[in-house]
Amino acid sequence: MWFSDKKGAQTSTQDLKKKETLLTISILALAAILSFATRLFSVLRFESVIHEFDPYFNYRTTKYLAENGFYAFHNWFDDRAWYPLGRIIGGTIYPGLMLTSVFLFRLGQLLHIDIDIRNVCVFLAPLFSSFTTLITYLLTKEIFDKGAGLTAAAFVAIVPGYISRSVAGSYDNEGIAIFCMLLTYYTWIKAVKTGTVRWGTLAALAYFYMVSSWGGYVFLINLIPLHVLTLMITGRFSHRIYVAYSTLYCVGTILSMQISFVGFQPVQSSEHMLALGVFGLCQILAFVEYLKSKLSSTDFDTLLSFAFSTVGAILAVGLILLSLSGKVAPWTGRFYALLDPSYAKNHIPIIASVSEHQPTAWSSFFFDLHLLAMLLPAGLYLCFKDPTDAKFFLALYGATAVYFAGVMVRLMLVLAPAACALSGAGLSRLLSRFLTPLPTIQRRQRASVANNENRNVVSASFALLSIFILSAYTMHCTWVTSEAYSSPSIVLSAKAHDGSRIIFDDFREAYGWLKSNTPENARIMSWWDYGYQITAMANRTVLVDNNTWNNTHISRVGQAMASGEEKALEIMRELDVDYVLVIFGGLTGYSSDDINKFLWMVRIGGSTEKGKHIHESDYYSPSGEFRVDKEGAPALLNCLMYKMCYYRFGKVHTEGGKPPGWDRVRGAEIGNKDFELDVLEEAYTTEHWLVRIYKVKDLPNRGSL
Amino acid sequence: MWKFLTVFAVLAIANAAENVNPSIINKNVERSIDLNSQLVKITGTITIENTGKQAASSYLIGFERDLQGIVSFIGVQDSQKNPLKISSVAVVGQGTNELFYNVQLRQSIEPGKTTTIIFEIVLTKALTPYPTSITQKEKQLVRYFGNHYFYSPYTTRSQKTEVSVNSRAVESYSKLKPVSQTDSTLSYGPYENIAAFSVDPLTVHYENNAPFLTVTKLERTIEISHWGNIAVEESIEIRHTGAKLKGPFSRYDYQRETTANHHSIRSYRTILPALAHSIYYRDMNGNISTSSVKPRKEYIELELKPRFPLFGGWQSSYVLGYSIPSYPYLFRKSSGEFTLKVRLLDHLFDDMAVDELETRIVLPVGVSDIKVKTPYEVKRLPDGVTYKYLDNIGRTVIRASKTNLVEQHIQDIEITYTWKTHMLLHEPILVSLALFLIFAIVIIYVRLDFSIGKPEHSKKD
Repeated sequence: MWFSDKKGAQTSTQDLKKKETLLTISILALAAILSFATRLFSVLRFESVIHEFDPYFNYRTTKYLAENGFYAFHNWFDDRAWYPLGRIIGGTIYPGLMLTSVFLFRLGQLLHIDIDIRNVCVFLAPLFSSFTTLITYLLTKEIFDKGAGLTAAAFVAIVPGYISRSVAGSYDNEGIAIFCMLLTYYTWIKAVKTGTVRWGTLAALAYFYMVSSWGGYVFLINLIPLHVLTLMITGRFSHRIYVAYSTLYCVGTILSMQISFVGFQPVQSSEHMLALGVFGLCQILAFVEYLKSKLSSTDFDTLLSFAFSTVGAILAVGLILLSLSGKVAPWTGRFYALLDPSYAKNHIPIIASVSEHQPTAWSSFFFDLHLLAMLLPAGLYLCFKDPTDAKFFLALYGATAVYFAGVMVRLMLVLAPAACALSGAGLSRLLSRFLTPLPTIQRRQRASVANNENRNVVSASFALLSIFILSAYTMHCTWVTSEAYSSPSIVLSAKAHDGSRIIFDDFREAYGWLKSNTPENARIMSWWDYGYQITAMANRTVLVDNNTWNNTHISRVGQAMASGEEKALEIMRELDVDYVLVIFGGLTGYSSDDINKFLWMVRIGGSTEKGKHIHESDYYSPSGEFRVDKEGAPALLNCLMYKMCYYRFGKVHTEGGKPPGWDRVRGAEIGNKDFELDVLEEAYTTEHWLVRIYKVKDLPNRGSL
Repeated sequence: MWKFLTVFAVLAIANAAENVNPSIINKNVERSIDLNSQLVKITGTITIENTGKQAASSYLIGFERDLQGIVSFIGVQDSQKNPLKISSVAVVGQGTNELFYNVQLRQSIEPGKTTTIIFEIVLTKALTPYPTSITQKEKQLVRYFGNHYFYSPYTTRSQKTEVSVNSRAVESYSKLKPVSQTDSTLSYGPYENIAAFSVDPLTVHYENNAPFLTVTKLERTIEISHWGNIAVEESIEIRHTGAKLKGPFSRYDYQRETTANHHSIRSYRTILPALAHSIYYRDMNGNISTSSVKPRKEYIELELKPRFPLFGGWQSSYVLGYSIPSYPYLFRKSSGEFTLKVRLLDHLFDDMAVDELETRIVLPVGVSDIKVKTPYEVKRLPDGVTYKYLDNIGRTVIRASKTNLVEQHIQDIEITYTWKTHMLLHEPILVSLALFLIFAIVIIYVRLDFSIGKPEHSKKD
């Protein structure tokens, strides 16, 4: 930006530098504070509470870690989930998040700062967003200049794409992973620039932190090799790159294998093969360079042709053998979904059923990036205008991130910092081009005065324009944060007719009831979405949860929900179910309830061998619609899910002028009203009927013969 | 009820067994048994006559065997409503299962003279639901088992008992003549010349839809700050101890149920000191959004709704906290000596019954010479140490526990300790020092050059 230009004959350079440092520090500090503060909407509006679903699991494990120490955590077998299978927590999670919070918690305790673990968890994501702001500055500064860095930092502080997953209470892996990712990129750029083992090792350590905190590290471990590969192809491969990459790969891979969830994947699974391949290529290239410098050109050519044919053949055979023997893991479904957006929908209903795995709509690019969507190409242009190794990296990062963000909604998160860095560079360049301080006007040159006046007008209008678009960006970001991304989803609020706020606290009401009034070892069947919340808030055993690792088990639950009472009882007895929990929005108009998710249960239920008899088409009305009124399919009107949601609902008046039993979500009068439950009894229903809990009746006593 | 508070002190159980003074007789006893709530409140007046030749200065009040463990409170006053000292004793000729209290009379009764005393007894868990489990729509019926006669180690000339229940729906009651029922009151007696230690079982089976809410565990933490604030936090476990809910809970029926007189508990009132502020009401899963605060003239009324209505056998737990300024509770005596008077137990809801109380009082950093005076006998647990914000020296925690408490136990505990005023500045000084140190280090670091040699090559792409 303008102050980075070395100008000003009168002021000494040292004075200028001091001012510059002060300005930099204050801009960064403000950006960091802003990024923390803007994420507090939900805390101020509701309370300091954990949001959504996955964060509850993370919170529960963090609490366990804080109470029982690392070894107990590492060896933790959780019998509260996936009854009767259980889950080995230590080996199936990325522990970085929990370790980070517990570290901060312990640090606080050491200094006698009396903060409880819940608050650490709630405020961790905003804290790391502040760090992200700083690291974005460093990264962009390293690639472009200080001005670009500051602009990027200001952008990233409030970019909605990132805020969506890092508001206070959104205690998820992504909250710290974006920081880790950018830290790795920064150290990697440093390593590439200096070519020292020190920065390479630091990059490996940052990479280790990243691996320990998010599964998205796979993106990173493909991006960096891609960068190296690009540099090789463009003839920019040098000793610096060799040292940087070899260090990063060796140290980083060994470190990443220490995470038990990752295990041997870095050398086995195909997702990591690019990194391994590029590592090999690096060695070969370096070796070839070495030979080239020692041998005569004819000898070298002979050697090269021989090497190509033999090594190529051996590699190909080896790869085929490994694939066949299953050593090279098949590509996982989620990864396919990345490359081919329609893959999941066609093959794995459970992946397709998650809303955040859906392809991104065009509008959400604007929604999540706003101004950045326009400035990003400018940044990309700058990357190629005057290319360096580092700029190549940013260009690659930007391009791949745009692609992935287009494939899966939640990867918008990865794009956001790239967009900020690129847009920061773009805007900063524009600003410094147009707003360069003018040399003091010399009276003797009239022509120059006119010219200067011209420039003044242009500068002023550009300044106005940028003030306008930047404030539009700020307004948009604040609006999005406040309206779209700051609802805890565990507490719902709605506006009453008189404008006052109604709070629906039914989820916690139900979980509180379960916790207090069911036996300690009761097993609760619900759709998998609520598994994490039930274990965390109600401390009861669930059959399936948000860690959807066992498709058949989830399918079994889906079958129970989709079957009639008799069949469902069979399944429930098989699974030792004591209580069944359903979410029902018909009374309040809460649309993401179980009836609206029901088709997924049918699809997933029907996707396995045991559920062959369940066909999606049976649940549609003759005209091919999914309806709950009298026109609805008989299979739907008599399945367990329907009965549990609408039990005794037929008598309730929900809206004026509508018949009793009017479902406010589906906008229909329910089709099956007067029925009794044979195998279940209503155990609890929350105040607004959002959560309904049923008890599976004991088998009736055998009558006298 | 508040005015009727009697200060009493139950001293350690006397080793020597007491003899029953044969010359004392109960000339007249009038008892009223209040069965309106979940508690049994027995009040009465006794006219004592000394028929002997020597002045009598003490009087024994006894309880039958079954009441062991459910007597929560006993208070005795003389006719001018002055509280009398009582102490628990054993009585010669009676087993240790019977409970006797020795009342120290203010003035001895001269031979042939009479005197009057008033007593108040509160029993918890004396009402048992019968049937023990009911459905959502049924009414809650309970049974009370008592004694037609006033249980006494002395002969009683004449006595009357009135039992009041909170509804006309009395299923059955024992009928030892003369007995009569008017509205919701049962009158027994007068019975004449009843021998000492007489027992004749009285039963009342009636409808009682009063909230049967028991606090199974109450942890009350009071934290004193000499900056002028006292923070109180109560962690409460409650349980509906009435008839258990049988069968399903139907929200539909529950929402249609409009009568206030239902055995389930929707909400209750907690009374806080008038100066309370920063009130919070939460549980394990966060804030409970269903509560309202109504400031009254002399207190603050808090309408608490548990997360879910409580039916028989259901339980819930929550945390209630608030802050109060310290000036009405903390008094400075002489130099550096302070007296703290806070409630050992505070109001949770009307007619409350607390099974287990643990009160912790967190004193400020650096207190010494702690003296504790409790209003009644409590179990002192070993003192603890806790660390709050930036404490490098811990704070002493006084811990006391007691079981089976009722409203009458809302009384002050008095703690006297020595504390130096300059300790107030202890933590601000520590923080300033720490900040100063950080700045000093930065200043030194920035001004010194720590590199061993100049870097050989400058960084360039």
